[in-house]
Amino acid sequence: MLMFTLQLLVAGIATGSVYALIALGIVLIYKCSGVVNFAQGAFVMLGAYLTYGLVKLGLPAYVALLGAMILMAGCGMASERLVLRPMMKAPLVAVMTVTLGMLILMKAVCLAIWGPDQLAFPRLFPDGAVDVFGIFVTYNYLAAFVLSICLSVGFLAFYQLTPIGLMQRCTADNPRAALAIGIHTSNQISLAWSMSAALAGIGGALLASLNGLSLGLADIGLVAFPVIVLGGLTSLTGALVAGLLLGVLQALTDGLLTPVAEQFLRTYTSIYSAGALQQVVPYALLVVVLLVRPEGIFGQRGTERL
Amino acid sequence: MALRARDVSIRFGGVLAVDNMSLDVEPHEIVGLIGPNGAGKTTFINCLSGAYVPQSGKATWKEADLLGRQPHELIRRGVVRTFQNVASLHDLTVLDVVKLGQAVRHGNPMRQLRDMLRSERARDAELIRTILQPLRLAEVAHQPIQSLSYGMRKAVDLARALAAQPQILLLDEPVAGLTAQEGAMMSRVIRDVRDRVGCAVVMVEHKMDVVNATCDRIVVMASGARIFEGSAAQVQSDPSVRRVYLGEP
Repeated sequence: MLMFTLQLLVAGIATGSVYALIALGIVLIYKCSGVVNFAQGAFVMLGAYLTYGLVKLGLPAYVALLGAMILMAGCGMASERLVLRPMMKAPLVAVMTVTLGMLILMKAVCLAIWGPDQLAFPRLFPDGAVDVFGIFVTYNYLAAFVLSICLSVGFLAFYQLTPIGLMQRCTADNPRAALAIGIHTSNQISLAWSMSAALAGIGGALLASLNGLSLGLADIGLVAFPVIVLGGLTSLTGALVAGLLLGVLQALTDGLLTPVAEQFLRTYTSIYSAGALQQVVPYALLVVVLLVRPEGIFGQRGTERL
Repeated sequence: MALRARDVSIRFGGVLAVDNMSLDVEPHEIVGLIGPNGAGKTTFINCLSGAYVPQSGKATWKEADLLGRQPHELIRRGVVRTFQNVASLHDLTVLDVVKLGQAVRHGNPMRQLRDMLRSERARDAELIRTILQPLRLAEVAHQPIQSLSYGMRKAVDLARALAAQPQILLLDEPVAGLTAQEGAMMSRVIRDVRDRVGCAVVMVEHKMDVVNATCDRIVVMASGARIFEGSAAQVQSDPSVRRVYLGEP
């Protein structure tokens, strides 16, 4: 039982680290431009499909992953330049609704190109597993975890330590002041969108390598919202911690709570299956967080509440 | 001629805020821009620094056009300003703000890459020594600017401008809101900066004692236009200046 729980924990941490990576991007865009980007899930899905497409073109898996990341950066920048910049003076609610439109559009494009069925995602990492004190960690999970953590930490280091990161932080802190002291703020916002999309794209490829590739990947964007609300919309560290937490909670629900619930239902009712309880967990948690601590665990008071 | 502004006018609705204003500034010169409230001094500075685009007029800095350009373009040409009300930045430390000043000057990515390769600590030490030390800010380099007094925050704003290696420094009321002591220090610092960095300075200021002590030449504005120009003594004895300030007949 203990081993099983630990096994679940490992899987949860791996998935959670990918959630964290995706959530980082949402927080980055929110901090920089005040927009809650509902299209982040679409970036996740598109990143996975592009990786798939590039592998089908005959590129080696790693090159495809890198290529998809670069393409996603371009896609993020194009979204900002072509869709969001013309709406600079529009009310924020309108801008957010447009990001929702982008989600629907990108899903439709992927549906048209790759069809509605689940696809076999190419193998990015070799089969096999490492044995850590009796817990088996497949290379897939290990790679997802290591890559996500490296990218997250690398990104945070960039954000905290470099001059460009400093300009990003200043733009996020006070855009009007940033503009006045000579920061090219619209370039910084473009940069935030492209970094965010690139992180989401990698996250999508990693998730597809764990769970398979389908249009459903776009729904991960919705899981990312509980993550950032939990972490506080403006806190990058909060997004990291909350992402890991949520991944673990989902894995534990799936492995421990669902069987118990199903057993209960089968004994006392005629319902046979409890369905996907793990998909409910993020939102249940979201409701609790919003009730108890609306600014999130790491958020500052006064942050716009969702 | 370093800065040459000719017939600059800007109108907001029915208000002609700056009315055919002209100003010449020589390299290394400190020019004081004074005038009663609403005379258009800050608005004029805003036109030169890229915050506003005037409807008419021309301004050049070393033969290059200034008007209608964005602040980030102007800073790369050495036109740098400070602000009357220092913006609030929550997360940043004093040193961060100074680094920002330096970063916006060098927009080109190669230079930034090279800077990144140098040791962080060596870079910080250099900024603290050359920029913060003379402004007596070295001790607070790693504090968030939010925790500083108003006077110190103004000094940080000046430090940010200096880190951008200005060729012409536009100071918007650098002494307003400071104590007499801080004001006297700021005045010394401004002259010292001019001597050390060799930049031209245009300062908008109300406090006459500071203006007299700091500036080589004084330009008086009223109702958006230039009404007088001369030395401190000339300004004080001129009847037209007395009229706009004191309302004498």
